[in-house]
Amino acid sequence: MGDAVADDKTVTERSEDFLHLNETPEEIAFELRAQEGALWTGGRLVIGIWTFAFASLAFAYFYLRSANNQDLWRPHDITAPTAAGAAIFAITVACAVLNLYGVRRFRSGVALDWEVAGWTSVLGTLLAVGLQIWQLTDLPFFPGSSGYASCLIGWAALNIALLLSGLYWIETLLARQARLRRALLEDGGTAQSTLPAARMFRASMEGCAYYWGFIGVVATLFWVLFYVL
Amino acid sequence: MAIDVTEQSPDLFPGETATRQHPLSTRTEWARPNVLWAIAGGVVGYLIGHWLGNVIASGYTNVQSSGQNDVANVLGLSFGVVGWMGGIGALNYPLAKMLGREPAPTVPEQSWVRYFRMTEDHKVVGIQYTVGVLLFLFTGGLLAMAIRTELLSPTSHVFGPGTYINIVGEHGTIMMMMASSAVVGPLGNYLVPLMIGSRRMAFPRVEAFSFWIFMAGYAVILTALPLGGFPTGWTGYAPLQTQASGGMDSYLVGFAVIGIGMICAGFNLAATIIHYRAPGMTWNRVPIFVWAILATCALLTLATPTLVVAGLFGILDRTAQTAFFVNEHGGSSFLWENLFWFFGHPEVYIMALPGFGIVMEILPVFTRKPLFAYRTAAAGMLGVALLSFFVWQHHLFQSGINPDMRPLFMLTTELISIPTGFLYLVTLGTLWKAKIRFDPPMLFCLGMLFNFLIGGVTGVFLSDVPVDVTVHGSFFVLAHFHYTIMGGLIFALFAGLYYWLPKITGKTMNRKLSQWHFWTFFIFFNLTFFPLFLVGLLGQPRRVFEYAQNLQPLNDISSVSAFFLGASFFFFIINFIWSVYINPRKAPDNPWHSRGLEWQTATPVPWYNFERIPVVLDDPYHYGERDAPAVADLGQELIAAGRVSSTPVDPDDLSVGGRDDLDPRPPIL
Amino acid sequence: MSEGSDIPPAGSQPADGDAEPTETHHWWRLIAVWVVASAILDPLFYVLAGPHIPPGRMTDTAGGAQFDFNVLLAIALPVLLGVWIFMIYAIVIWRASRGGPDPVGGPAARGNTSIQVGWILTTTVIVLFLAGFGTYELVQPGGAGGGQGPSPIWTPTSHTVLPVQVIGQQWKFTYRYPTYGGFETTELVIPDHTTIAFHVTSLDVIHSFWAYQLGVKADANPAQDNVAYTTTAQLGSFTVRCSELCGIWHGAMYNSGRVVSPTAFQAWATATQESLQANTKLLPPFSYTYIPDANGADGGLYPDNVDPYSKIQTYGATPAKPTSKG
Repeated sequence: MGDAVADDKTVTERSEDFLHLNETPEEIAFELRAQEGALWTGGRLVIGIWTFAFASLAFAYFYLRSANNQDLWRPHDITAPTAAGAAIFAITVACAVLNLYGVRRFRSGVALDWEVAGWTSVLGTLLAVGLQIWQLTDLPFFPGSSGYASCLIGWAALNIALLLSGLYWIETLLARQARLRRALLEDGGTAQSTLPAARMFRASMEGCAYYWGFIGVVATLFWVLFYVL
Repeated sequence: MAIDVTEQSPDLFPGETATRQHPLSTRTEWARPNVLWAIAGGVVGYLIGHWLGNVIASGYTNVQSSGQNDVANVLGLSFGVVGWMGGIGALNYPLAKMLGREPAPTVPEQSWVRYFRMTEDHKVVGIQYTVGVLLFLFTGGLLAMAIRTELLSPTSHVFGPGTYINIVGEHGTIMMMMASSAVVGPLGNYLVPLMIGSRRMAFPRVEAFSFWIFMAGYAVILTALPLGGFPTGWTGYAPLQTQASGGMDSYLVGFAVIGIGMICAGFNLAATIIHYRAPGMTWNRVPIFVWAILATCALLTLATPTLVVAGLFGILDRTAQTAFFVNEHGGSSFLWENLFWFFGHPEVYIMALPGFGIVMEILPVFTRKPLFAYRTAAAGMLGVALLSFFVWQHHLFQSGINPDMRPLFMLTTELISIPTGFLYLVTLGTLWKAKIRFDPPMLFCLGMLFNFLIGGVTGVFLSDVPVDVTVHGSFFVLAHFHYTIMGGLIFALFAGLYYWLPKITGKTMNRKLSQWHFWTFFIFFNLTFFPLFLVGLLGQPRRVFEYAQNLQPLNDISSVSAFFLGASFFFFIINFIWSVYINPRKAPDNPWHSRGLEWQTATPVPWYNFERIPVVLDDPYHYGERDAPAVADLGQELIAAGRVSSTPVDPDDLSVGGRDDLDPRPPIL
Repeated sequence: MSEGSDIPPAGSQPADGDAEPTETHHWWRLIAVWVVASAILDPLFYVLAGPHIPPGRMTDTAGGAQFDFNVLLAIALPVLLGVWIFMIYAIVIWRASRGGPDPVGGPAARGNTSIQVGWILTTTVIVLFLAGFGTYELVQPGGAGGGQGPSPIWTPTSHTVLPVQVIGQQWKFTYRYPTYGGFETTELVIPDHTTIAFHVTSLDVIHSFWAYQLGVKADANPAQDNVAYTTTAQLGSFTVRCSELCGIWHGAMYNSGRVVSPTAFQAWATATQESLQANTKLLPPFSYTYIPDANGADGGLYPDNVDPYSKIQTYGATPAKPTSKG
C-alpha cells in the first residue's frame, strides 16, 4: 500500500482494492453473515441479561412487599415524588418511541429522520438521567426507612445504568452515521449501501431499536410498581 | 518497534497513506497501553475514588477518613477498576466510538509483550486466562493450607478468630471466582474458535475486556485482607454482611466486577458459537466441548446479573443506608439468601458443565471410539442448564423460608441428577469395548469420573430434606462441593491442559512428571476430602476453628493430606517450566491422533487460525471407522493448485487489523 | 518422545477374527460381579453401619434422619459399585497395551437406543422414588426437625407440645421457656417422650441452631420466628452448635443440653423458674421475636418528625409494645 489512487474510480472499484488481501469472496460473505448474526444475537442477549437483572429487582420488590417485615414495607403509603417519577417515565417512553419511529423512517429510506429522532432521544435521556439523580436528592424519606424506599433507591441506580447504556448505544450509532454519511455518500448512504460498514451499521441500529423498546417496557413496568400500585 | 500507523479519515482514498504521521504512532512500546499502565490507572483511580468518598461522607466525622468509610472504600475500588481498565486500553475504543471513530489499524503482534496488553487474538486471551486462573488457584490454595493448619488441633490455635474467618472467606471467594472461569476462560477462549473452524471471536474486544476485568476482580478481592477482611464466608449472608467492617466492600465490589466479566465472556462465546461455525458445521457436528460451553454461556449471561444486582443492594445497604437486607427496617435477610442462591446454584453448574465437556471431548481420543450418545450428552447439558434455575432453595431448607416449597425443590433437585447422570451414560458407553491409552489426559479424565461420582451421589443425599437437617452447614456439604468442583472441574481442567498444551505451546509435556502429578493429586485429594464427609456427619459445622476432640484424628488425616495435595501442584509447575522453557522438545502436530478440528491447524497456531476457512464434512468422533471421511476440507487442494493463497493476509500489509469504511471485509466489532 | 504415537490411527488395522459373542460375555461378567458385590456390601452396610449412622435415635427426627440416610446409602451403594466395577473392568480388560481388536465405530458405537432409554428410565424411577420418599419422611415426623418458619405446615400430631425458645446472638445460644414464666438459661433441658417446638430466633445476624443428637436444625433469623419440631425418645445429653457463620466467634458458639425424664424436667423447670424470678423481671417480656426498637435499644437512630431526617413518621414513635405472635 502507499500508492495514491486515481480519482475516477468508483466506490466499488476502490473497495475492491482491498481484495488483494487474499480472502475469497465466499469467505468474505461468510464472515459478513456471521458478523451480522452476531450483532443480532448480541442485541437480543443484552436484553436477556438486563431482563434477569430487573427481574431480580422486581423479585426484591414483591418479596419485601409480601413479607412486610415490621409493617415497614410502605408505611403511610409513601410514594416517591410523583411528578419527577412521571416525568422520568414519560421521557423514557418518549425516547423509546422516538427511536422505534426513527428506525421505521430509516427503513423507508429517510436516514435523516432517524438522526433527528436519535439526537432528540439523546437529549431526552440525558434529561431523564438528570431528573432521576435529582429525584434521589429530593426524597421525603430516609433510604432505609422502609422496604419501598430501599427498592426505589435500587431502581434508581439500575435505571440510571440502563438509560446510560441505551444512551451510549444510540449516541455511538449517531456518531458513526455522521461519519458514514460522508464516506458512503455515493453508495446510497447507510440506508442503501451494501458495503459491510453499512450492513453492520444497520444490524446494530435494529438491535438498538429493540433495546430501546425494552427500556420503554422496563420504565413502564417499574413506574407502575413504584407509583401506581 | 515503532509502527507506522496512519489515521484513517474519510478524506483518504483506500490505499492512500496520509503524509502526516499520527502522533501516537511514534509512541514507544512502554507508552502504549499495557499492564503497567493498568496498575498505575488502578492506583490513581483508587485514590480519586477514596478521596471522593471521604468528601461525600464529610458530614459524618466519625466515618470520614476512618477505615470504616464504606463509601470511600466502594468508590475507591470502583474508580480503581475503571482506572485499571483505562490503563490497559479497554476504554479507548468505546470512547473513540462516541466520537464516531473506528479503531486505529493494528498489526497482530508477535512478541511476548502482547500477553501484557489487550489483544484481539482469542488465543492470547486464552493464555492470559490460563495464567490468571492458575494465579487465583494458587492464592486460594495457600489460603486453604492456612485453614487446614488451623484445623490440625481443636484447641491450639494458629490464627486469631478474626484472622481465621477472614482466611476462610478469602479462600472460598477466590476459589469460586476462579472456578467460574476456570475452563471457559483459558480453554474456552483458546479452543472454541478453533473447534468451530473460525478465525476469530464474535466480539474480540469484549473477550479481552472480560479477562482484564477478571484480573481487576483478583486485585479487588485481595484488598479485602488489608481492609480488615470479611467475616461472612463466600456466601455473604446479610445482615452479618451489613454489620461487617471495610473488607466486606471488597467482597461486594469484587463479586460485582467478576460478575461483569463473566457476563461479557458468556455473551461473546454464545454469539461466536451460534454464528461463527464454519460452513458445514451443523449442530449435529459441533464438538461436545463446544456444546458444554454453549450451555455454560446461557448460565453465565442470565444467572450472573442476579449476583451483580444482589451485590449492588448490599453495597447500597452499607453505603446509602438502605434496608434491603435488614429485617427490622422493612427489608429481609431472606432476600439476600434468595438472590444469592438464585445465582449461586447456576454458578456451580457454570463450573461443572465445562468439566463435563472436557471429559467427553477427550475420552473418544483415548478410547479410539466415537462418543456414545452424543445427542443425549448435548441435550443433557442443556437440560442441566435449564433445570439449574429451579433448584436454588435447596440451599435454604432449614432457613425458615417457604416450607411449602420444600418438596418442590427436593423434587427439582433430584430431577437435575438425571441429566447430570448422562455424563456417566456417555462416558461409560464410550469406555465400552474401547482400546484405552492411559496418557496423562486420560488419567485425569478417569480421576474426574471417579471423584464426581462421589460428589454427585452425596449431592443426592443433601437434596433429601431430612438428611439435610443433619448435614447442612457441616463439613459434609464442604466435602460434597470439593468433590464436585475440585475433584470434577479441576481434574477436568488439568486433563484439558495436558491434552491441549502441546497444541498451545508446541512442546511436549514430560510424561513422568505428568503421571506423578496425577497420582499425587488424586490420592491426596481423596485422602484430604473423604474424611471430611465423616467429620461432617459426626457433627462438625463449617467455618469453625474449634471442634469436638474426638474428631481430631480425622481432621489431622485431612490436614496432612492437604499439605501433600498442595505440594502436588508443584509437579505441574515444574513440568511446565521444564517442558516449555528448560528442556523443550517440539511436539508433533497431533500427538494424540485426535480427529478434532483444532488439531488440523499448524502448531503453534498462526494468528489467523486457519489458512482458509474450513468446510466441515463431519463430526470429529468417527474413530474406529475404516472409511471415515475427513473432518473438514481445509482447502489444501485449492492451495496446492494455486487457486487461492495459503495465507489470508499479505504479511507486509500493515493495515490488516483496521478496516476502512469502504473495505468489503467485515469490520472488527 | 512419541507418547501415544506408537498406536496407529484408528481404522488402519482390520479387526481380527476375534468375533466371539463379546457383547453378552462382558455384560454377564459385569452384571454378575455387580450383583454379588451389591448383595454383599449393601446389607452389610445397612445392618452393621446403619444403626450407628449419625445422628442416632435420641428423637424421632434423629431416627428419621438416620433411617433416610440408610435408605439413601442402600440405593447409592449399588450405583457407586456399578460405575466403579464398570470402570475398573474397562481399565483392566479394554486397555490398549493388552492388544486385542481395534474398536469398531459406526452407529452401534455411537448410540444404542435401548440402553439410553433404559438408563433414563432407571434413573428417573430411582430419582422419583427418592423424591417421594423424602417428601413422605419430611412430612411425617412434623417437618423432620428442620426449621419451618413462623407458620409451620407440618405440625406434630401430639396434643401436648412444649415450646422452647432458642435465642441466638453473637455468640451464644440461650433458651427461654414461655410456659414457665419465660426464664432464660444457657443450658437446654428438655423432657423425654415429649414433643418439643423450638422457636428459634436471633437478636442480630443469622445463626443456626443445630442440636446434633436431636436431629434439629433451624436457622435463627433476626426478627423472625423459625419453628422446628421434634419428639424426644431417649435420655441423654446432646451438643448444640451454631451452623451458620455469624462472625468471628462462630466456631466457639456451642453449648450443650440434656434430655431428662418428664418428672425431673418438671422439677428442674419449676425450681429454676423460682430461683431466676428476679432475673426474669429484668429481661424483655417474652416474645417470639425481639426487635431492638421495641426495647428502645435503637439509640434513637431514626427519630421521627425531626427535620432533616424525615418528614414522615417512621417507626418507634408509638410506645414500643411486644410484637408477640399468638
